[in-house]
Amino acid sequence: MLKAYMILSVVLFSIGVVGLISRRNIIVIYMSIELLLNAVNLSLIAISADLADASAQVISLIIIAIAASEAALFMALFVVLFRNRSSLDANLFTMLGSEK
Amino acid sequence: MQNEILFFILSLITIVSSLVMISAHRPIDSALSFIVTLVSIAALFGLLNASFLFVVQIIIYAGAILSLILFIIMFLNIKDENLPDEKYKNYWLLGTSLIIAPFSAILVDLILRSNIAVNAAVHENFGTIKDVGLTLFSEWVLPFELVSILLLVALVGAVTLSKKEV
Repeated sequence: MLKAYMILSVVLFSIGVVGLISRRNIIVIYMSIELLLNAVNLSLIAISADLADASAQVISLIIIAIAASEAALFMALFVVLFRNRSSLDANLFTMLGSEK
Repeated sequence: MQNEILFFILSLITIVSSLVMISAHRPIDSALSFIVTLVSIAALFGLLNASFLFVVQIIIYAGAILSLILFIIMFLNIKDENLPDEKYKNYWLLGTSLIIAPFSAILVDLILRSNIAVNAAVHENFGTIKDVGLTLFSEWVLPFELVSILLLVALVGAVTLSKKEV
């Protein structure tokens, strides 16, 4: 069964990478990043169940905490970018280091 | 046998809903289908006897993070003219899949050829909160403390970013 879980994880990771590269809506880009983290979590927990060892579950717990802090920062970024450009298009966000 | 059938159904739901997530035009549609993806991944965790991670995935991902995304989408009051006009979205998706497909085919081939499955005997309290918590506080104390610093930094950063400039 481990191989099936690993293959599902590879498929989910590929879907996430495709969404990350080809979309321009920043909310969809953010959710693709979350999908990448979830694919990694799935393979970690499959390995943990196969080895009967809880260390990989701790790693994926830490990954979930990192995803939560990432979510807070991304939400603040969405609000700032939408306030300045009133759009969700990632091509318009070129104001790093410039005065608006 | 029952586990295989459940795994097949859940993986089908996960893949279809994540495909809907990356291809939907409006962000609210992708957020709602992403909830389906996260809940079925949580069910896969439950299928793997990781009961604590199952609960954490439901509470933090499907509960907190996704409700935060939905809240932001409704709070920003996004109209159709605020969305990027992705005229060639389907061509982009197709082209990127054609680029990514060989890499994932190589990975799948490697997984199928390798001999990684150990099939260790799962003890009784595997994946419970006691098991995971004991491992966390005996072997993984330093990453745990670092995560607390990271959460503090993210909190301060979110407040600093979103405050109005004076």
